[in-house]
Amino acid sequence: MLDSVLTIIPVLFPVLTGAGLLTFRFKERKTLYFWVAGIVVLNALAALLMIFTHGAEPFVLFSFTDTLAFVFRVDSLSAFFGTMVSILWVLTTFYAFEYMKHEGHEQRFFAFFIMAFGVVLGLAFAGNMFTLYVFYEFLTLSTIPLVMHAMDGKARHAGKTYIIYMMAGASLAFIGFIFICLYGGNELFTLGGTLDPMLVKGNEELLRFVFLLTFLGFGVKAALFPFSHWLPAASVAPTPVTALLHAVAVVKSGIFAMIRLTYFSFGTELISGSWEQSFLLILAMVTILYGSIMALRTPHIKRRFAYSTISNLSYIIFGILLCTPQGMSAALLHLIYHALIKITLFFAAGAILYKTHKEYIYEIGGLARKMPIVFGCMAVASFGLIGVPPFAGFFSKWALATAAVDSGNPLAYVGVMVLILSALLTALYCISLLVKAYFPPKGEQADGHDPNWLMCAPLIILSAATIVVALYPQPLLQAINLIAGIS
Amino acid sequence: MEVLCLTALFLPVLTGFITGCLKQDKLRNSVVLISLLMQVLVVLMLIMHPVSEFELLRFTDSIALVFGVDVISMIFLLLISVLWLMAAIYSFEYMKHEDHRPRYYLFYMLTLAALMGLSMAKNLVTMYLCYEMMTLLSVPLVLHTQSKEAISAGLKYLGYSVFGAGLGLLGIFFINHFAATLAFVPGGSLIPELAVGNENLLYTVYLLMMIGFGCKAGMFPLHAWLPAAHPIAPSPASALLSGVITKGGVLAIIRVTYFVFGASFLQGSFAQTICLGLAIFTIFMGSMLAYKEKVLKKRLAYSTVSQVSYVLFALFLMTPLGLIGAILQIIYHALAKNMLFLSAGSIIYKTGLKRVDEYKGLGKQMPFVMIIFTIASLSLIGIPPLGGFVSKWYIAQGAFSNPLGLLGIAVLMISALLTAGYTLPIIIDAFFPGSAFNYKKLKKKDVNILMGLPLGILAVILIVCGLFPKPIMDSLTLLLSALF
Repeated sequence: MLDSVLTIIPVLFPVLTGAGLLTFRFKERKTLYFWVAGIVVLNALAALLMIFTHGAEPFVLFSFTDTLAFVFRVDSLSAFFGTMVSILWVLTTFYAFEYMKHEGHEQRFFAFFIMAFGVVLGLAFAGNMFTLYVFYEFLTLSTIPLVMHAMDGKARHAGKTYIIYMMAGASLAFIGFIFICLYGGNELFTLGGTLDPMLVKGNEELLRFVFLLTFLGFGVKAALFPFSHWLPAASVAPTPVTALLHAVAVVKSGIFAMIRLTYFSFGTELISGSWEQSFLLILAMVTILYGSIMALRTPHIKRRFAYSTISNLSYIIFGILLCTPQGMSAALLHLIYHALIKITLFFAAGAILYKTHKEYIYEIGGLARKMPIVFGCMAVASFGLIGVPPFAGFFSKWALATAAVDSGNPLAYVGVMVLILSALLTALYCISLLVKAYFPPKGEQADGHDPNWLMCAPLIILSAATIVVALYPQPLLQAINLIAGIS
Repeated sequence: MEVLCLTALFLPVLTGFITGCLKQDKLRNSVVLISLLMQVLVVLMLIMHPVSEFELLRFTDSIALVFGVDVISMIFLLLISVLWLMAAIYSFEYMKHEDHRPRYYLFYMLTLAALMGLSMAKNLVTMYLCYEMMTLLSVPLVLHTQSKEAISAGLKYLGYSVFGAGLGLLGIFFINHFAATLAFVPGGSLIPELAVGNENLLYTVYLLMMIGFGCKAGMFPLHAWLPAAHPIAPSPASALLSGVITKGGVLAIIRVTYFVFGASFLQGSFAQTICLGLAIFTIFMGSMLAYKEKVLKKRLAYSTVSQVSYVLFALFLMTPLGLIGAILQIIYHALAKNMLFLSAGSIIYKTGLKRVDEYKGLGKQMPFVMIIFTIASLSLIGIPPLGGFVSKWYIAQGAFSNPLGLLGIAVLMISALLTAGYTLPIIIDAFFPGSAFNYKKLKKKDVNILMGLPLGILAVILIVCGLFPKPIMDSLTLLLSALF
């Protein structure tokens, strides 16, 4: 019991120190960076320590009523999500040190940036639906200042859009949460579902409809069409935010909540084969194509990647909705691959923006020669995103498609087709960018040079990581299969 | 001799990166030449001591890179490495008037590595990997000149190819479910119990895969990239794109048809009928478009569309004679089309003339090149004793058993006529410009040894292979008994 108390340290520590950071005044930038780096690295280490030394011992922080309790527990899915987030947060922090020099208000930025770290870990470690829901709301609140950071008209508008979408989504999710409580579900998450079969009997139709609503609610954060508009709008935020929060932490919290909802609360048995499943599958497919097509049409580099995120998140949602262990395992694999790849792409786009102030594809003709490291990393990540073997995305695409075929669902067959179409569009929107940079039309030559090591190091580490996880996917695959309950 | 397998794969990669760094033309050319000579040697040794199976890397339980050499691989390996060597020697001279030479040779060598891998691929994943690599690495060859037109052709090539390969991958996902293994098994690897009741699904999947891989081979409906992309590349690269890389798609089709689904499973299905129909239509369409086209390199590209579909038609017949005809056509067309593109390149290099109506009297100016052009054209039309005749003979024999085959034979005849129609007038114009033609202003412009030698060697190979097709056919007998 005493042992499991420690699980809340990585959650509370950054929230408190982040809030503290707001009140202090630092004379020099260096001292601020020192403290920020210290907090983030310490907390990441603490989180990893918790994850790797603790069993699945639940810890009740306090109970409002008999059924509403604040419970933390590190199970294998939490461990997976927590590890990914912790590592990426550290890398992004170092990248942000260099990047934020130009943006101003660094102290406020890093304060909320650190707080969000704690909130995401809280979401990962949440042991029941109530806790998950609370942190889900906190996450919205703590990231608003980051989206609106520039505080000009555009940024504030994006911020408002962000709030409205998020709140609407959360309120839909709240309905689901209430029903889960009513039907005996606010227990500790368990694979296979927590609903009481006695209560469920006779109410299947109702519950499935509730599932649909809740899933759509979480779908707002995961940018499911038609709730995806906020994501490209939010790309006005500073690049570290777009890279970490809008490609990984926030959007994948939506995904994480979906997995908890589908596999750990309602259970796949209830949903598998229903019209709600088909409806959501179709929605996911539409989103996949919508995202890819919009990405292809968008010349603004960061927005192009934001649309690409919309599309790729729905790959993951598609995997989740297959409602098979293989589907969940494929979804998790794509979750981690996409996280690594997309954060690399955004870092690269940010480096271009930071060094040359170029935001559009037609401005970067020939830039690859001047910024070889940035574009090299971008190329590696792009091939991963397209899913060219042996780069990372191929294996997750393989897992998703084979899971779809194995599920035997005719809609899933269509889904395989959609994946292939989207891969084509992905190839076009990634490679047309690379071609512009590497093989510009005669006479075009943009100017610039590689940024310093604070920006380059995370880029190189991340793109190396995408190669490593692609060449040796077996350990990762085993861990993921364990989470999904495939022996 | 696994080390041979590895050498064949990685020697071009290594030299590619070395040549990419070399600034001096002479040094770079000698490195490329030596490496490609060694490549041919390695391939010959590999044919003497074939490796049946060699696992390079295992990603997951089901996904591994496995290479091996069977008869089909041997034919492709030898053909590819020889043609690559010839086109490289030609490039030494031709590329003098193009920029970015280090980059050209870098991707030239890397594409070779991808093709080596494709020829030796032992399972579907390996094949797919090499196939995608082949596409991606050959895109820089297409957009080499970096003109607006070249870049858009490159992207078009990329889009079509990625989509085609994607359809192939779609099939692989389904095969993963319905087949015992992803490895190539002569005669097919489907599990009969699983296939029963799902025949229509599997036929549809097969059809999609054929359309997908047919993209690289220029088969209708995914052919539109070919006439845009092949002519725009530097001539030696066009020669290889048209003569060799299109055969990458053919190889994939051979593997999927005969080594995954199996001829007996597909024989008589609606998928076969549609594939045959598409191939026949493409043969006719390609010849027709070539006949109407006035720019020589584009005309040759359309001719490729038509000629490679001879191969596809023969493959879709799924008869032993058809397969023999297909293999022979692969060899003869690769040789002839290389000669044609290289000759066209020589004409452009020496005179700058690109349109067929400007070639009056060219036979007097560049007699050697035009003789090569004539030999290749005659083989393309299929005039005995040149190679094209033999392959067509077998294709037609293989087609008799199939009702659509008869239509195919008729179209082959029409196409031969059209082929004569789009090649012979050029030759006639070149050699016999008419009595009113003024010979005085002509100057001798024939090519030097670097361009002439590969043309000559290719012509000799084409003639020899045409006169003695027996060894090639004999080597196939063992395989044929396993396939049918």
